[in-house]
Amino acid sequence: MSLSELKLPDYREQSPDVSARFERIRKRPIILKVRELKKSFGSNGNTHIVFDHVSLDVHRREFICVVGPSGCGKSTFIRIVAGLDEATSGEILLDGRAVAGPGSDRGMVFQGYTLFPWLTVKRNVMFGLQMHGKALDTAEAEARQWLDMVGLAKFENLYPHELSGGMKQRVAIARALANGPRILIMDEPFAALDAQTRCQMQAYLMQIWKKVDVTILFITHDLDEAAYLADRILVMSCNPGRVAEFIENPVPRPRSAEQFISPEFLALKKRLEEHIHPPVEVPEKLPMIKLTEAGDEVE
Amino acid sequence: MKHHDWLGLKVELPRKRQLQLTILSFLAPMAVWCAISYVPWLWHPLYRVTDPGSVDYFIEDMDVKRADFEHELAKARAAGTALPQGYLTNPIYLPAPHKVLRAFYYAFKTPPRLPNEPWLHQSLGHSIRTIFLGFVVSSVFGLPLGILCGTYRFFAKLQEPFIEFFRYLPAPAFGALCVAVLGIDDPPKIAIIFIGTFFQQVLVIANTVRKVDPGLLEAAQTLGASGWKLVRRVIIPASITDVYTDMRILLGWAWTYLIVAEVVGTMSGITYFINQQARYRNFDNVYAAIAMIGIIGFSTDLFLAWLGTVLFPWKRKSRSAQNKRAWFAWLRPKMAEPIVQTIEPVEDKPEIKLHVTQ
Ligand SMILES: Nc1ncnc2c1ncn2[C@@H]1O[C@H](COP(=O)(O)OP(=O)(O)O)[C@@H](O)[C@H]1O
Ligand SMILES: [Mg+2]
Repeated sequence: MSLSELKLPDYREQSPDVSARFERIRKRPIILKVRELKKSFGSNGNTHIVFDHVSLDVHRREFICVVGPSGCGKSTFIRIVAGLDEATSGEILLDGRAVAGPGSDRGMVFQGYTLFPWLTVKRNVMFGLQMHGKALDTAEAEARQWLDMVGLAKFENLYPHELSGGMKQRVAIARALANGPRILIMDEPFAALDAQTRCQMQAYLMQIWKKVDVTILFITHDLDEAAYLADRILVMSCNPGRVAEFIENPVPRPRSAEQFISPEFLALKKRLEEHIHPPVEVPEKLPMIKLTEAGDEVE
Repeated sequence: MKHHDWLGLKVELPRKRQLQLTILSFLAPMAVWCAISYVPWLWHPLYRVTDPGSVDYFIEDMDVKRADFEHELAKARAAGTALPQGYLTNPIYLPAPHKVLRAFYYAFKTPPRLPNEPWLHQSLGHSIRTIFLGFVVSSVFGLPLGILCGTYRFFAKLQEPFIEFFRYLPAPAFGALCVAVLGIDDPPKIAIIFIGTFFQQVLVIANTVRKVDPGLLEAAQTLGASGWKLVRRVIIPASITDVYTDMRILLGWAWTYLIVAEVVGTMSGITYFINQQARYRNFDNVYAAIAMIGIIGFSTDLFLAWLGTVLFPWKRKSRSAQNKRAWFAWLRPKMAEPIVQTIEPVEDKPEIKLHVTQ
């Protein structure tokens, strides 16, 4: 039986708990407001539009996942939010103020670990605090607190090259959060990790997000990951990049691994699959080319 | 032993084998030298005359060609006169290893022939001082300029084209000019080493600094670093280990300019020593002095390599790195004493408010 034949609820159907939660979220202040954002590369005559007409509102302490086909401009979009790139047109308001350039109100976690190899784990976490002129002992105490939260207190004196990929990414999260950002921007942070570590990291991230007052903008190409983590999922389409749909995740919280086979989860996943992998026409009969003289015929 | 054990493509050899090969790389040329020196039928194109016999133009301790000696020997034998005596030997410019080894000791012990000539150790000291000053003066200007050019496109475009042009001008060509401007003593020599090192240094270091991972810069920017802080706290520490390696290589190049520098103006240092010893035909001393340059250069580099692992603990592979503090303390602010801490489970932490709620 294929997924399309499976009897699933509509992905927009929400249980009373879930819709009450979204009701509460909608009442929270809007922290990030994006209006008609457009980004193109190249000069006149030969421009390549990466995305345009991107508008969205993100409420405080929401967990937003961004999914979309590779190359649709997800990274470009959040780099603009982070202030590392400039938009061609449109505006981004963070807490009502337009963003210009990188700032510590937006923390960033990259796919490549980008820890400073010459600093110990603790020093890495202290980096942003020191940039803001915090006294050393305060910075150190705060860094310890954050390392404690990501479960790395014991490793504070190691150098990054002595850590595993998952540990490095936890340090990167601690380093970003130590700065007290309004939103935490993560660009495929777990994509380079093995499946088991990735699950662990997702659980860690959920815990951290529960305890810390921070809004998360999380890019992924892993649909399961998006469905597991997000409050709302921003689906982008390609060429040029547009917001295809902004889906409210119907899977109730708290989330757990069992929900991977719940009807809501499957309905959501099916919807995401339709966006990301539109049905491909495969001809019924493909011409067969025999390359070997093997006797056993393949069905 | 399996073939691919030794010749694996890009496979790191075990430490023991690396050491064996290192020793072999020195032993192999030594073995060739020994063979030529001590095996009489290998090369040995000359006879050292110990007794001229009846040959009138032979004198004691004279080197004659093998063919000439054998010809005279045959003639004397036919004439029945006193036979010339001698033994096979190599030319004087190829002394045997033991003679050079002995020269290592005696070269330091031999007083100079002329009253105002320096001893060997004084010559060496002079050379090292010249190199050191030339390299330090070059680095004082080259290091900051290289970092500046590597960091800011503005300085790169402003400086590098001219430097690129200048580095093609051979340093020795400036010898006469340096003497005219700076006199005949040490300053022109230091200037030659400066000219030979500086321009390469700026370009090499600028290139290394440009290679700093832009991801680190972006990460630092999102953490609130900007401007000079970005240079001091990210660009410099991120490139310092590679810059250090560059400096080691550049120091090696400075040594190759030494001999040129020392013949500028009044000849001095180890070059003067080598020249004098060659003139006195003390070739064992010449070899000892040349080998001395190699030994000083090589051991300096080994020392600097070791120093690198002390200065940059994050480049060390071992876990012991955590205990050793980097010497470049100015890159990091002073540390407070670690606070004794208790590790609580993650779940028990209270909710952390990053901001005061509106
Ligand atoms: N500096 C650039 N110059 C030109 N095109 C770029 C540049 N950076 C990104 N792009 C283009 O923007 C598109 C989106 O890239 P990216 O944001 O990395 O996509 P995603 O993260 O969704 O995979 C790609 O097609 C890429 O070719
Ligand atoms: Mg991307």
